[in-house]
Amino acid sequence: MAPKLQQTLTSASSRILLVALLVISLALVSIYFREGEEGPLHQAQSSASGMVRPLKFVGATLGSATDAAGTAIENVSASETTLEALRAQNQELRKQIVELEEYRQEAIYLEELLRLKNYYDLDIVSARVTGRSFNAWEKVITINRGSRDGVITGLPVMGQSGVIGQVIAVRATSADVRLLQDPQSGVAVLIQSNRAEGIVKGALDGLLYLENLDVDATVQVGDVIITSGLGGSYFRGLTLGTVVKIEENQGGSTRKIVVAPNATTRSLEEVSVVLSMNSEGDATEPVAPPKKDDEEAGDDE
Amino acid sequence: MERDSLMMVIGAFLAIILQIVLAPNIAIFQATVNFCMLYVLIVALTRPSNNSTLVIAFFFGIIYDLLGHSPVGAMAFLFVIAAFAVSKVFEALDNDTLFIPLAILIVAVFLLELLYAIFMLSFGVVESSQVAFLQRALPCALYNTVVGLLVLILMGKVFTDSTRSSASSRTRDSMHVSMTSNKNLGKVRTKHRF
Repeated sequence: MAPKLQQTLTSASSRILLVALLVISLALVSIYFREGEEGPLHQAQSSASGMVRPLKFVGATLGSATDAAGTAIENVSASETTLEALRAQNQELRKQIVELEEYRQEAIYLEELLRLKNYYDLDIVSARVTGRSFNAWEKVITINRGSRDGVITGLPVMGQSGVIGQVIAVRATSADVRLLQDPQSGVAVLIQSNRAEGIVKGALDGLLYLENLDVDATVQVGDVIITSGLGGSYFRGLTLGTVVKIEENQGGSTRKIVVAPNATTRSLEEVSVVLSMNSEGDATEPVAPPKKDDEEAGDDE
Repeated sequence: MERDSLMMVIGAFLAIILQIVLAPNIAIFQATVNFCMLYVLIVALTRPSNNSTLVIAFFFGIIYDLLGHSPVGAMAFLFVIAAFAVSKVFEALDNDTLFIPLAILIVAVFLLELLYAIFMLSFGVVESSQVAFLQRALPCALYNTVVGLLVLILMGKVFTDSTRSSASSRTRDSMHVSMTSNKNLGKVRTKHRF
């Protein structure tokens, strides 16, 4: 009788423990969604992420070494044809640099003439990517700049050639950045050529989708997408990406517009947190869209 | 500290370190390994009738949620359910072969990934169910299954080796005891009786 009784008691205690832990878990989920970004659970998440920063840095170093090794293997195994193609591309790029420098000088001259401020007159702080999220359901990176460097939640972060995401959590010496590809990410944008407004959203497949666009707005592959500044989360005029694919349904009533981001990040790579945009005040004023040639010159800058 | 508890603690630290350091770097097509999940499932298989398994599952879920930016409590909820279910099923089906734990591990990993995808959809974190299931839950489940099977087989080998070594040390001890018992039989008998 005694072992049976003991077994029954163990089983009962096991079930009570199970129910208790499940109730606590659900209560935590409920609190998490009800509290704001400054709530205790969000703060705990931020603190926990800060505590494991050294481990994340080790991971980032490992990732960087793996990338470098991969690139080295690719370079070693590159065929003569590939090398020849790269040499030709290099030559072409050099030519383009000279041409772009000409455009840049011309743009500066035109800006002075028109007394327009430079769209990219940014106040930035450089940071290094020191960690990546391990959860397959989110795209978040950690950078080595925090509140001590003036970083606050909501600031946009740029890679080498465009916006890559937004700061979502800040600690004293580090911050977490939600990348554009994260499914919870959303940015108010403009199509540069015709000023049509929409929202670029991230998705789990790693692509960006342009949504909420007017039905009659024209979009073409190759259109440049810039931030509109609406909603106040991103400064206006930052380059985000280019339209690479437009899929329309048979009736043409809905369309799926895929945007390729201009910039991507790798472990230990430099990124820039945009603290302020000196030209924002002017840029948000209704300025007549510049001619296409001028626009391209501005972009090249 | 007992050897079993020590192994649990070492395993827990190892799982967390692997999750933070290694998992982001061995992602394949955006599918990452969930070492915390594998640890919880393996603990549930090795300690099926122990209440501490549920507590470990809960705390591992909380740690996993806190280290990321997903809703806190979601993974804890799933880990606790998985640990309980795996323990009960293993207790019912265990026949001392490797097939049963492997089969349970595979089913548990797929169900966990599926349930987490449903959680993410219901929380509005993800919008497309097709993308959630086919492009995230399924690849992650496959990847976790492969790694889980490797870990389980590796652990089986480690434990077998350690059992062998402890068995041989027990044999040595018993030999020592028998030698001592020849010298002082009365004393050893008294020792064994207690």
